[in-house]
Amino acid sequence: MSLPCIIIGASHAAVQLSFNLRQQGWQHDIIIIGNESHMPYQKPPLSKSIMSQQKSLEEILLKKDEFYQDANIRLMLNTNVTEIDRSTKTIKLANGEVLAYSKLALCTGAIANKISLSDKPLLGVHYLRTAEDAAKIQNQLTHAKNAVIIGGGFIGLELAAAFNQRGVHVTILEAQENILQRVVTSEVAQFISSLHQQHGVEIKNCCIAKRLTGDSYVSAVVCESGESIPADLIIIGIGITPVTTLATKANLDVDNGILINQFAVTSDPNIVAAGDCCSYFHSIYQRNVRVESIQNALDQAKSAAASIMGKEIDFSHNIPRFWSDQYDIKLQMCGLIDGYDNVEVINPQDYGQLSVLYRKDNKLIAAVIINNPLMMKQAISAIANQEAFIH
Amino acid sequence: MSNNVWQCITCGFIYSENEGLPEEGIPSGTKWLDVPDDWCCPDCGMDKSDFEMLLINE
Repeated sequence: MSLPCIIIGASHAAVQLSFNLRQQGWQHDIIIIGNESHMPYQKPPLSKSIMSQQKSLEEILLKKDEFYQDANIRLMLNTNVTEIDRSTKTIKLANGEVLAYSKLALCTGAIANKISLSDKPLLGVHYLRTAEDAAKIQNQLTHAKNAVIIGGGFIGLELAAAFNQRGVHVTILEAQENILQRVVTSEVAQFISSLHQQHGVEIKNCCIAKRLTGDSYVSAVVCESGESIPADLIIIGIGITPVTTLATKANLDVDNGILINQFAVTSDPNIVAAGDCCSYFHSIYQRNVRVESIQNALDQAKSAAASIMGKEIDFSHNIPRFWSDQYDIKLQMCGLIDGYDNVEVINPQDYGQLSVLYRKDNKLIAAVIINNPLMMKQAISAIANQEAFIH
Repeated sequence: MSNNVWQCITCGFIYSENEGLPEEGIPSGTKWLDVPDDWCCPDCGMDKSDFEMLLINE
């Protein structure tokens, strides 16, 4: 009997990989193992359309149940994998069951970074990474008045916009000098800050949350400056960490993520990996990167499926792409903003649009573009072709 | 030749009929109607129904 391809993690990458395998003619069983109770769903809407009540969880499922059945893809939900034994090509589940594989895929994603700001757990304090997290936040939003978001990254900002539009007063605490400091430059940060402030969101830069107060329910955040900000809802959004525990235990190469080559194969030729959990050498940027985006997960999943089928699709030159929705703006990013020697700002005075182009040695390496998708398309092309992008 | 351009309403990805998406196996000049029904947006994974035609001045 032929052994299955087992995919660990019921993520966007996992679903793409499984259906790609079927499309390419994989004849054997495919099993997706996930530790959540929900069918695989899209993650980006959790901080966007789910939070603004435009969509329900049902509407953001990646595929309906019948698609998995028709493609003969078995979902094992609520299931934890505890170990990979590469010598016997088996995995062990938390209930002790052992499953054999012919090929294994790691799509284990990432988890939210956590900090402890109170001696005891307080109600009303949340992270956002899963549908369950989103449901808890939703429940509380119906009676929340003052939300404090710790961390001015994309998740925090998208939630701030959604909360604001639902009538909740929002304060964002950012430890750095600017919001989004890890990913963009001050031109973009200022544009986004102004947008939020115009809607009534307060942004406190260089502000570090020291502790939370409250009895059973959170009542305030105390900052290092001593300022106390009343809050009945706290969101902590301070980045994510790739889930590499199984890979590390199995002695696969790991460096800020499970290391994969340009074909999404790990240091074991029978194991591929895709998504937020992976790091790889980017052939244009000439360095190791770990990219947190749907596009990256999809590209790596397609390469991983091809590799399992004995083909080669090199994803390592693909330009990282990302988007964020806040209020009525769509922000798009392409490339990696790192090591630039020239910044060009287009339409800086225009409220509706902003484009910031980053160049190095007169070649475009990254762009942040707000409300101008056609320019985004041109910028991606220019980066791929290593052009300056004079427009 | 007119060029219809379609935009993914979820993530903003652009599909241009003139350019196609050769890297995804869709040759240049492929009309939107001829893009396979099971094709998904490469940036966000949404399907064709999540796209709308974009009016542009070229």
